[in-house]
Order: sequence, then C-alpha cells, then structure tokens
Amino acid sequence: MPILQAEQVSKEYQLDGRTISVLRTIDLDVARGEFVVIAGSSGSGKTTLLSILSGLDRPSSGRVRLVDEDITDLSEDQLAPLRNRLTGFVFQGFHLIPSLNALENVMFPAELNRDPLAREKAVELLDRVGLAQRQASFPEQLSGGEQQRVAICRALINDPAIIFADEPTGNLDSENSRLIIELLLDLQRDRQLTLLMATHSHSLSRRADRIVRIADGMIVGEERQAP
Amino acid sequence: MKLRFLLRDIVHSRSQALVFVLCVALSLVCIVAINSFRRDVQTAIVGDARALHGGDVIVRSSYPFSAGLEQALTELLARPGVTGARSWEMFSVVRRADEQGSLLAGIKVVEPAYPLYGRIDLASGKGLAEVLRPGRVVVAPAVLDRLGLAIGDQLLVGHGRLVIADLITAESLRSVDFFNFGPRVLVAAADLATIRLVEQGSRVRYRAMLRLDDGKQIAATVAALEARAVADQELVATYATAGSRVKRLFDNLFFFLSLVAVFTMLLAGIGMQSSLAALLRGKERSIATLRAIGADSRFLLRHYLLLVLLLSSLGAVLGIAGGMALERLFVDLFGQFLPDNLVLGTSLTDIIEGLAVGLAVVAFFTLLPLAAIREVKPKAVFSGSTENRPRRRETWVLLACGTFLLGGLVVRQLADLQVGLSLMAGILGLIAVISLLVGGLLAALRRLRHLPLPLRQAVRSLLRPGNASRSIVATLAAAFSVLLAIYLLQANLRAGYIDSYPPDAPNLFTLDIQKDQRQDFHLLLGEEVPLYPVIRARLTAINGNKIDRRAERKGRGDSLTREFSLSYPAGGEEDEELIAGRSLFPAEPGGRVPVSVLDNVAKMGDMRLGDVLEFNIQGVPLVAEVSSIRTRTRSMLFPFFYFLFPEEHLAAAPQTFFAALRVPAEEVSALENRIVSRFPNISTIDVGRSAAELAAVVDRLALIVTFFASFAILAGGLILVSSILATRLERIREVVHYKILGADSRFVVRVFFLENLLLGLFSGICALLVGQFAAFALCTYLFEVVYQPAWAATIGLVVLMVLAVVALGLAGSVAIIRRRPARYLRELP
Ligand SMILES: Nc1ncnc2c1ncn2[C@@H]1O[C@H](COP(=O)(O)OP(=O)(O)OP(=O)(O)O)[C@@H](O)[C@H]1O
Ligand SMILES: [Mg+2]
Repeated sequence: MPILQAEQVSKEYQLDGRTISVLRTIDLDVARGEFVVIAGSSGSGKTTLLSILSGLDRPSSGRVRLVDEDITDLSEDQLAPLRNRLTGFVFQGFHLIPSLNALENVMFPAELNRDPLAREKAVELLDRVGLAQRQASFPEQLSGGEQQRVAICRALINDPAIIFADEPTGNLDSENSRLIIELLLDLQRDRQLTLLMATHSHSLSRRADRIVRIADGMIVGEERQAP
Repeated sequence: MKLRFLLRDIVHSRSQALVFVLCVALSLVCIVAINSFRRDVQTAIVGDARALHGGDVIVRSSYPFSAGLEQALTELLARPGVTGARSWEMFSVVRRADEQGSLLAGIKVVEPAYPLYGRIDLASGKGLAEVLRPGRVVVAPAVLDRLGLAIGDQLLVGHGRLVIADLITAESLRSVDFFNFGPRVLVAAADLATIRLVEQGSRVRYRAMLRLDDGKQIAATVAALEARAVADQELVATYATAGSRVKRLFDNLFFFLSLVAVFTMLLAGIGMQSSLAALLRGKERSIATLRAIGADSRFLLRHYLLLVLLLSSLGAVLGIAGGMALERLFVDLFGQFLPDNLVLGTSLTDIIEGLAVGLAVVAFFTLLPLAAIREVKPKAVFSGSTENRPRRRETWVLLACGTFLLGGLVVRQLADLQVGLSLMAGILGLIAVISLLVGGLLAALRRLRHLPLPLRQAVRSLLRPGNASRSIVATLAAAFSVLLAIYLLQANLRAGYIDSYPPDAPNLFTLDIQKDQRQDFHLLLGEEVPLYPVIRARLTAINGNKIDRRAERKGRGDSLTREFSLSYPAGGEEDEELIAGRSLFPAEPGGRVPVSVLDNVAKMGDMRLGDVLEFNIQGVPLVAEVSSIRTRTRSMLFPFFYFLFPEEHLAAAPQTFFAALRVPAEEVSALENRIVSRFPNISTIDVGRSAAELAAVVDRLALIVTFFASFAILAGGLILVSSILATRLERIREVVHYKILGADSRFVVRVFFLENLLLGLFSGICALLVGQFAAFALCTYLFEVVYQPAWAATIGLVVLMVLAVVALGLAGSVAIIRRRPARYLRELP
C-alpha cells in the first residue's frame, strides 16, 4: 500500500480568460520509506505538484491519497492535524517564523500538538544538526545553511511519515548544499522517512531511489536506481 | 512609458493608494470648510456691523446717561449731518389684558428715527416709524403664539396697556437670540413714561446711536463723547470696535473647531505617512530590483515623488470639493446661531489656502517614507527585508524642518501663537507620554513567561523587531484619547450645567425688587424669603493696579471688567465655606472696609487676603480690603455673590433686591402673573424653562463638536486600515507558516485575535488614562465643574474602540486564513 497516491491529478489556472494547464493527468505512487526526486526544467510544474500532493494546494481534478486518507476535498481545518503529524516541509526559502528563535521554531509544531517533550526533542534535534550553540538565535541572525538546518529539524520534530522538500538547496552554496543533503539522507535512513523532493540538482537526483521527470506538466519518464 | 510605469505602480497597490488619497482629502476637508465658513460668517458680522450695532457711534450704559454725556449728545445732534436715536432695553414680563397669560419679553423702547442702520421688517410690509405710534407695540411672532393673542389685541407692558400693531419678521439689530430669554417687543419712546419700567428700577440698558454723514468725523465724535462720559460706566464705541456677542461666540466656536480641524489634519497626516510607507514597503523588492539593474536613487525618488504628487493632487481636489460641499451642511448644523445675512461662498483664496495647507501637510508627512527609498539597498532583492535601518542625520534635520513648518501652520490656523505652540507641545507631549506608556507595557509583556501558545505567539509578533506596533498604538491612542476627552468634556458640561438641576434649587428668580416693595412682596408670597441686596458696581483696581480693560476683554472667559453685583449677608449663605480668613469680616486692622470674595473671582484676579480692591459704585468709589475668601459647596443655581460687605458700608448705596424661589412647577406661571401684575418693574426668570433652553443650546454645540470630532474618528480609522495594509505581507507570512506547520484556523484566528486585542487594549488603556486626565484637567481648571469620570461610559467607549481594532484587524486576515496556503507561498520573498 503506497503512502502517497495521486490519480489523474490536473491543475489549471485561468489567466485573462485563457486556461493554462500546469499539470496534466498525473498518476504517481510513492511507497513508504522511498526517496523520490521530481526533476524537470524550470516552470515544468514541480512546485505545483508538490503543493498538491502535500495538501497545500487543491487539484483542479483528480484525487490525492495520503496515508490511506483521501485528502482532495478536506477542508483546511481537517488538513491541519495531518500537516502537523504526518508531513513535514522544507522549502527553498526556509520559511522560519521570524519572531521565534531557533529552538522555538523547532518546538513550535510539537507545541501545537501539546507534546510535553517538545523542548527536549527540539534540543536533541538541533544538537544532531550541529546547532546546539545557536538555540537562542533568531532566523535573521543565522546563515542560509543554518536556517535550512533549523527548518529540517522543525520538519522532523513530530516524527512525520513523509517530508516534502522543494529545492531545499536552491538558496545555498555547494558546500552547504552538500551538508544539507547528507543530513536529509541520514535522517531519512535513520527514521525510515519517505522523502519527496523537487530539485534541479543532478548530484541530488543520483542519490534517489527513483527519479520522476516532468515536462510541461506531464510525467515524461521514471528511473528507478539501485540503492 | 514612464507614466505607464507610474499608473501600473498605483494600480498594483490600489488599496494603499486609495487610503493615501482619502487621508489627503480628509486632512483638507475640515480646514477648507471651516476657513471658508469663518470668512463668510465674519463678512456677515463685520461687513454688516453698522446694521448690527445700529449706528456709526454707539454709547452704552447700564444707568441713565450722566448730565455731561447728555449735554454732549445734545450738542452733537444739533450739528448738521448727525442723526441719532435712543433705545432702552430691558427684560420684563408682558401679560394678556385679561391677566390669563404672561411671558418674559425682551422689551426695546425706541425713538422714531430708529433704526438708523439695518432694518426691521414688519409683516404688513410698512415702515417701523409708520406703525410704531404711541400706544402701540410691534412684537415677534412668538409673543402672539405663546400668549394666544392676535394683532389688534391689547398687551400689558409694565404699567401700560398697548395695542399690538404688527409683527416683526426680521430684525438686523437683534443681539442674536442665543438664549431665547424673551421674544422681542418694540415700544415707542413716547410710551416710556406710560410703561414706567425705567423709573421703577428695572435693569435697563441705555443706548444712543449716532449716524454721521461724514465718516471722517467718527473718531472726533468718539473723542468728544468719551471726554464727557463717566469712565467705566458709559461706553463709547464705533460700529467697528463695539464687541458683539455673536462675534465673540463665533470667535470662540471657530477657535475650538480649528483645534479639532488641526487635530484631524495631523491624524490624517499620520495616516498618509503610514499608507505611503505601506505602499513603498510593498514596492521594496521592485525598488531593490530597479536599483540592481542600475536605476539611481534620483530616478527612484523622482518616480515616487511624482506618484505622491499625483495621488495628493487627487486627494486635494477631493478634499477641497468635499470641504465646499460640507460648508453647505453647516447652515443646518449651526441652526439658530447664524446671522441672518450670511452668504455662503468659497473664494479662490479659500481654495489656494487649502491647497497650500494641503501641500505643506503632505510634504511633511511623506518626507520620511520617501527619504527611506534611498535606504533600500539592491541587497534587498535577496534578503527581502530592510527593516531596522538606522536613521541618518539628515532624517532628523528633515523632521525638525517639518515640525517647524507644521508648527507655523498650526499657529496660523489658530491665529494665536501661544495656544498654537501649546497645542504643538501638547501633541508632542501626548505622543511622548503614550510612547512611554506603550514601551512600559511592552516591556512588562516581555517579562511574562509560560503563556499559552497562541498568546505567546501574539506577544512575540508584537515584540518582533521592526514591528510597527509602538507607532500604531501611539497614533491610535492619541486619536482615541482626544475623542474620549471630547466625549467626557461634553458629558461633564451637560451634567454640570444642565442635568444636575437639584430638586431643591430655586426655579423662579425675581429681580429688581425695590427697597420699599419688600414688605408687599412678602405679603404677596405669603411667606418670608431671603431677599438678597444687589448693588451694581465695577472693580477698578487691585492693590492700586488699574484693571486693564482691553487686555481683560480679549480673554475667553469671565472678565474682571464686567459689572459685578455687590451684596451684604442676608441669610441663606450657609452653602458657603471659608477657605481663607478667620471669619467673614474679622476685626478691621487697617481700618479699611472688609470684603469677602468668592474663590473663582479671587483666582481670576489673583487676589489674596489683605489685598486692596477699589470699586466704583455708580460713580462713588469704595476701597476695601480682602478679609476672607469663600468657596461654594452647592450648585451655581443657588444665589451667590462674588463680593460680600458688612451691611453698614453698603446700606446707603442704591440697591435692589433679589429673591430665589422654589415653586412647584405647575404654579410657576400663575405666580409670575401675580408678581408682575402687582409689581410690573420686577422681572421674573423661569429658571426651569431657561435651563431647558440652555440645554438645547448646549446640545446644539455638542452636535457641532461631535460632527467635527467624527472626522477625527475617520482619520483614526484610516490610520488603522493603513497600518493593516502595511502589515499585510507579514500577516500572510504568519498565516502560511502556521498552516504548513499544522495549525488549524482556530489557532490562527486566536493568535490574530489576541494580537489585535493587545494592540487595542494598549491603545485603549493609554487613551483612557490620557483622555480621563485631560477631561479632568479641563473640567476642573477651565470650566470649573465638578468632574465625574463617567467610568461606565468610558469603559463602554474603550471596549468599542478595542472591538473596532480587533474587527478591522481580523477582517484583514480572514480571507488569507480560509484559502489554501500554496497560492500565498509564491508571494512571499
Ligand atoms: N497562480 C498562477 N497563475 C498562473 N500560472 C501559474 C500560477 N502559479 C504557477 N503558474 C505557472 O505554473 C507553471 C509551473 O510552475 P511551478 O512553480 O510549479 O514550476 P517549477 O517546476 O517549480 O519551476 P522552478 O523550477 O522554476 O521552481 C509555471 O509556468 C507558472 O508560470
Ligand atoms: Mg519551483
């Protein structure tokens, strides 16, 4: 049973009376623990697909199932607990909460969940990514790579089943990119995580279990790679 | 190309642009309307001053003219080119011939030449001289209505029985029926002896009006009359110098309205500043990008300057048009206060002046946001944020210049340097106090730990570096506090002067009872009531310093130059307490006559125990020494006297007596009838009805003030809206962040609710403190009414303010909360 299932997913935008098809009848299954890269040129629809699969956006037609639940028609409030416990997000632009320091950013999803161990878990995660000393720093006081590490910790604190990552290294230099990738992959292996990542990066793609190539909103090829 | 870019920019930030335009318009509406209206009213009053005062030269007195003055007048009137008319004005009760009804009327006895200037229109269309023959009167329509009489019926005036000959439809010489104490009754001078009101000791205003064919003779005439007139008692003035009640009323009213207008203008300015800042904030990335591709700051500055100019011109046109439209409304708003000959119009001067004021305000309030453009570094393309930039020195120079400019503007509008500067200082002080208060509250919040998550988030957002919460709270609180103060002031004035009519207070005043009428008066009443002696006099000097009549008369409040009523104890002063001195009249150490003064007049003249006061009692000097100072413990409705003497020193002075009666309401008019038919010289004042009329006046004034204050409320609302627009991006960011981390809408709404609640509460608390304090100070020190904080209403108002802040704040976020976050993710830098 796949953890994530997309059936005939399409997405259209209305622009000046014209209909723009961004995604066309996408079918995709992702198995538990799998690391899937979505690759494609700029504007091919990677971000759009990731948003729909994760429930941040609604498809124009088609269905999305996440861990045995059809999320296509769920309301924002019905999606909230799923986002909180089942999924984690990592973005190119980090998206940390500027009014909270590193530790508080990481703790936040656990606190929403009323987890009494939120602080301990957050401290442990920050320690794991080498930011034990920077707990009290605010996002604006951190470098891009550090911010992204905090964001990864935050995505992991509620032990999600699946992580969605949209070009997590897009804003980073090659050294930092390498660090982030290693970190993500280590974590994925340790925790049996499912990882769905959109990226241009070949070095990243090479490490994936499977590469799904899209162009013009359609899946144009899939490659499975030996681990 | 450039214009398209400009228009594109405006359309892209249309909400902010709209708020900006509205702010500019709002800042001008009140000023233009009030200035233009003021000009019209002044033209009406001053331009027609001859008609208003009835002559080129006017002599007034509260006593029969002295022999010297009479002689001077006779000599003058003998000259060619000089005509004159006399009038005697008094209040007296007029009655139906069958004694079945009576009415306090403003009686004016006039000579045939009256009016020399101005006009009196009669219902019949005939001239006054033709109709007003001996034995006849012409009356205002109210006399007929209230007494149920018709033209041709008889009317009892004093001891006279006169025939109503005509109705007055318009009168240019009316001294504005501010308090409608009595409708007009015109009596011919030939009947002065018939009605016998003057000899009987009624309070009469004697007036002689002169018309000079040669206008150049005015100054010489005034000098000639003044040389013979009794100083301080017989006042000689020209039509231009004679003060009028209308003019004073409007001077005061316009001064106050100017205050409100200036305040509205400043609030709207703050609105301009924050909406422009919001607009530019939204453009920060495109500005950074433009910079990155090589646009220099001159280009950018020019571009946005043009944008501001375009928007403010639009706002100015709207504001001026709105102001002109608003002025039309004033006629209804001001109602009975307006002079009859008012012509409304907006002159080019008003428009140009409005534009100049508008430009100055716009310039001041847009300087800072525009200057900030230069601070946007190309780097913002990457980081997206340029908050918290340090202020350059030139920013402060700009600010100082602007403040100076604005100060000049305020002073000019208020036409009073001292008040203008105090107002500016007051506003700066207000902002400083509120900033301190807010700073303290925020610091206290920072200390709090272990708050529930939503509250903690709300607090964190408020404390976020670069967040504008402090300035938002400061402006909101400033607006709120002024509104609250206006409300409290109005409520207190109403309560202090009108509503608090004590049940045991006298409701019928009888004045001008003669010495030899006292016995009969008591017989008629069937009981002994205290009769207070009244001796009319003027205060001429304090400790040898002459009272400066001109300086005193300029003041806005009560004046030491007016005529005072001296008295001696007659019983019934038990509601007064001594606050200085051992007793009312302790033994006289210096051998001088002792006088006990009331605290308010003591404050007015800065009088202390032992000070020497010089009085002029109808020509007879009296020197007295302050022996005690009294204060009142009861309402002003009970009789009181500013200056009390031992009886023996005033026994010989000309005096009348005054009684304050408490009569069941339904018996008031019957008693008035009996008193007046028995003693026509005695005036009675139905205080109950006067209070009702005063209440109507105060309500009308309150309506006017509230009307103008509502513009300040609007400006406050615009500030709120613009601050919400300014933080739109931040709020989107927050919603999206909370959502992707799994917060449901309840959580997000709760955070926003709490954040706005805190903002509202902070502003509300500051406004409450400042507003209450200001109203307390004004009531206690300026209006001298007992202050009632009206907590229930205050808290109700504050709750309303807080609700408005919360509602507006939430309304701006609901749409974001309900949508899927993906579409907003793209918007975020
Ligand atoms: N709100 C919108 N309205 C119209 N078109 C849109 C909208 N949002 C995205 N698109 C279009 O959808 C297409 C796919 O966009 P998407 O962001 O998914 O591409 P992407 O593969 O992530 O590109 P990149 O690698 O540059 O991030 C683009 O052509 C974009 O122009
Ligand atoms: Mg993308």
